[in-house]
Amino acid sequence: MPTKIRISILLLALVTAACHPGYHLSNRAYNRIQVDSAAAPADSSTARFLAPYRQGLEKTMNEVLVQSTVRLEKARPESALNNLLCDAMLQQTRQRLGQPVDCSHLNYGGVRSGLPQGPIRVGNIFEVMPFDNQITVLTLKGSMLKQLFEHYAGSEANEAALLVGGVRVTIQGKSITTIAFTNGKTFQPEQEYTIAVSDFVANGGGGAFFLKDAVRRQDLNLLLRDAFIDYFRQLGKSGQPITPVTDGRITIQ
Amino acid sequence: MDASQSSRRQFLKFFGSAAVVGSLAPNELAAKPKTTRLTILHTNDVHSRLDPFPMDGSRNAGRGGIVRRATLIDQIRKEQPNILLFDAGDLFQGTPYFNIYKGEPEILAMNRMGYDASAIGNHDFDGGIDNMVTQFGKARFPFLIANYDFKNTVLDGRTQPWKVFNKDGVRVGVFGLGIQPEDLIPKELYKEMKYLNPIEVGNDMAERLRKEKKCDYVVCLSHLGYQYNDATVSDRVLASRSRNIDLIIGGHTHTFLEAPVSVVSQEGLPVLINQVGFAGIYLGRIDLTFERGRGGMEGARAIEVK
Repeated sequence: MPTKIRISILLLALVTAACHPGYHLSNRAYNRIQVDSAAAPADSSTARFLAPYRQGLEKTMNEVLVQSTVRLEKARPESALNNLLCDAMLQQTRQRLGQPVDCSHLNYGGVRSGLPQGPIRVGNIFEVMPFDNQITVLTLKGSMLKQLFEHYAGSEANEAALLVGGVRVTIQGKSITTIAFTNGKTFQPEQEYTIAVSDFVANGGGGAFFLKDAVRRQDLNLLLRDAFIDYFRQLGKSGQPITPVTDGRITIQ
Repeated sequence: MDASQSSRRQFLKFFGSAAVVGSLAPNELAAKPKTTRLTILHTNDVHSRLDPFPMDGSRNAGRGGIVRRATLIDQIRKEQPNILLFDAGDLFQGTPYFNIYKGEPEILAMNRMGYDASAIGNHDFDGGIDNMVTQFGKARFPFLIANYDFKNTVLDGRTQPWKVFNKDGVRVGVFGLGIQPEDLIPKELYKEMKYLNPIEVGNDMAERLRKEKKCDYVVCLSHLGYQYNDATVSDRVLASRSRNIDLIIGGHTHTFLEAPVSVVSQEGLPVLINQVGFAGIYLGRIDLTFERGRGGMEGARAIEVK
């Protein structure tokens, strides 16, 4: 290439860089494309890319955690599933924290499905708890603990829907008349207690906004779902099927 | 003589002299088109929705999924070579894929589709900051975030605040903004990361991209959320208090905007905001046409929204 031309190109490059002439917008259009079978066929190479992930996923979801001799359903005011899930939550929270926790609570609406008779698989737990709610431990005064139970047991939408672990309660209308801890503690309105709840409940998601005034809040970064999976897997290690029953922890007066 | 004529003369003067030099060089300038079309494609809050929603009769059954999105993007690339493909964050969390694979297939799928950049959403922290290092490390596109300071964390130096894309001569400056993490992301997930004021940082970025980096068009990839009932900083608040931003591609609030919304900036110019729901149900498409030269007194940027 002749030197003269090379210099010219260099010059031109300098001129262009120094004075980027700029562009201005002269027209604009917009389209929102729904991604479905009408919009586009599946891309086969992308499908091949995803296939091994999906197979691995299915394998994980199909893992049998434990066998159950009975079908388990959530129910008001009490069911074996209600109790089992709250017990699982309490046991896993204690294990993760390495310290005692007095009781646990789950919101009725958060339990999205029952569990089958026969093999209980990881996929079933995902159906029970599809939300990525995490466990939060709240320290509450007895009076606020009672307020929390009354909120869930007594609100019109959730009448007598109270899922608890580590505690036996009596519901009378919209009031809680007795609270008895299974760890032997006695209920005092001024005493402090610890309770495992979902972060959804702790954040006031179920309308219990007063929980923002809890004495203390500790987020565990432990998904409720993962806690359940670990709990059922541990139960299954004995090789024995489970036959969960109700234990009368909820009394309606 | 108005400002528009003045700048046109300057432009012609420049172009005239360039043409003389250009006569010696083989088509250096002549090859640059007078008009450039650019298509911005975007998603937000895909939330690990790699497969379409299951065919269970629910509202979104059969919608979304990477296999169809990949085809759509390929089809658009065939008709239009100048594409910028962005995501506004929350790639992760929402299906068991994330629980099991921690975000790998999400990132690799975005590589395959040719994403150019992504913002960072609050749920992208869900696997912890160490997992972000692992998964972001697999990306062939940058994570753009200007208002998170990752100094003293393992993510330091693994994200960038902005990037300039040159598409047929049009310089597009893109930067990212993230949401306030407090009460939204557990501290143990984001560690020592510092959150910086998105409006101040956003305006600094946009000015830098417009003036120093000579960008013709400035895009913000935002995970701030479309709007709130209180004073929380949202895309609408950002737009109204901004200078030099042309387009905000938003996320977080899973807002289904039927068409981009225009908000007037501090300069009295329209800032376009768009967000396409969540889960990859929609692919947003914004077609822009640029003409060479300044379109007058910021006139270029004051075009009506069509």
